[in-house]
Amino acid sequence: MRVLVSLAVCQGHARCEDLCPEVFATDEVEGKCVIKQPEFPPELEEKVRVAVRNCPEGALRLAGGAGS
Amino acid sequence: MTLLWQPSAPDHVPAELMVDFDFFHVPEGTGDPTEIWHGLVRRGVPRIFYTPYNGGHWVFLNYADIVEGYRNHEIFSTHQAPIPPMEPFPVMQPQGIDPPDHHVFRQLLAPMFTPLAVRRMTEGLQLRAKELISRFALNGACDFISDYAAKFPTGTFLDLFGLPESRLPEFLRIANSFFRSTDPEVRRANFVEIYAELDGLFREKERNPGTDIASTIVHAKDADSRQHRWEDILNCGFLLFVAGLDTVTNTMAYVWRYLATTPAARAYFRERLDDPTAFLLAIEELMRINAVSNLFRRVTHDCEFRGVRLKRNDRVILPNTVANRDPAVFDRPEEIDLGRKVNNHVTFGVGPHRCIGSHLAKREIMISLQEWLKQIPEFELAQAQGPLSAFGGSVMGFESLKLVW
Repeated sequence: MRVLVSLAVCQGHARCEDLCPEVFATDEVEGKCVIKQPEFPPELEEKVRVAVRNCPEGALRLAGGAGS
Repeated sequence: MTLLWQPSAPDHVPAELMVDFDFFHVPEGTGDPTEIWHGLVRRGVPRIFYTPYNGGHWVFLNYADIVEGYRNHEIFSTHQAPIPPMEPFPVMQPQGIDPPDHHVFRQLLAPMFTPLAVRRMTEGLQLRAKELISRFALNGACDFISDYAAKFPTGTFLDLFGLPESRLPEFLRIANSFFRSTDPEVRRANFVEIYAELDGLFREKERNPGTDIASTIVHAKDADSRQHRWEDILNCGFLLFVAGLDTVTNTMAYVWRYLATTPAARAYFRERLDDPTAFLLAIEELMRINAVSNLFRRVTHDCEFRGVRLKRNDRVILPNTVANRDPAVFDRPEEIDLGRKVNNHVTFGVGPHRCIGSHLAKREIMISLQEWLKQIPEFELAQAQGPLSAFGGSVMGFESLKLVW
């Protein structure tokens, strides 16, 4: 699985970073989402899904496996 | 400053969308001012309605419409939007500017309020919380508002602006007058005083810059490498003053009021003092259920929205507390679930004007609660709460909240 962010939509709520710091961080300048691990291991899938569902802007999206 | 009252309903509002509602008025016996909004929902009033009170304005009650009110700045502007209308009203930077121009000051402020920047403030916030609480921890009682919730964010503001703690009483007085007075004469004098303070502050930081926010704002350069317009600098200072004090004070009031009456919630937080992730998640639920702000927008042009005719300069209120309990979005919306998994509340707004101080506000509340529970693990509401102290308006809350332990 991969997770993608639309930075045009992200407004820096940082809920993703709070919920799954293994995969998400925020930048120093605007405080917007930084995806540290776009292709995350299966054991993090549930946490990433929760983070995606908690984005108040709907800026995060899950995509299929590598290369899809 | 003139109050532009429009006592009757405008022609474009159909009779079936008219509801008498004064969002400043909290009827006697209403313990919780957010109830005036939830009462509307229970009465089954239209989800978009118009009230002739406070100059006349629309109210949105659906989560989806409130979110659209935040996101769609082409219809719903923050520029000159106060309710009741008040002109001239300072154009707060960047809050009172629509995209794309609001980016100038938004980008200037953003680095100082990122989660990373706020994390670096942790130690200072902890010290302030610890010190304030220790002043009354052994007394067995306090007025939570005047002894803590008003002082803590005001102290944080002074710190961010590079002002000495000795200015606290003066700023508490100015802030209290600004947030609580409805007398136009008092408000006018108060505005003059706030702007005089800000002017003096920025002049001082212009000459002797520090590492504080005021120095950063006054020394920032615009696209032509010149200092920003002095008026914009003052209006940016004004925004930070307005946005970061009363909101935090009253959110804390709601949170402590809830904890004082809910032993299980106190235990829940106490058990998670060493688990910041779970602590923060639970704070998020308290943010959902205790949304104290009602935001204003002004309609930019005549148009139709969800089948309702809106006219240019119509005002709209977006009550976050109603959005946050919309059953279309939240599972068991009335229940406070401190482990709630999906929680897309709009307490800090959404879209381009999302509250820039949201991370600071949450950290102020989290640290306050951690330090409080370490010193005062058990507490409850005092029997005598004095005269009715709940108030409505753009920020709802309490004048006083007496706690005992």
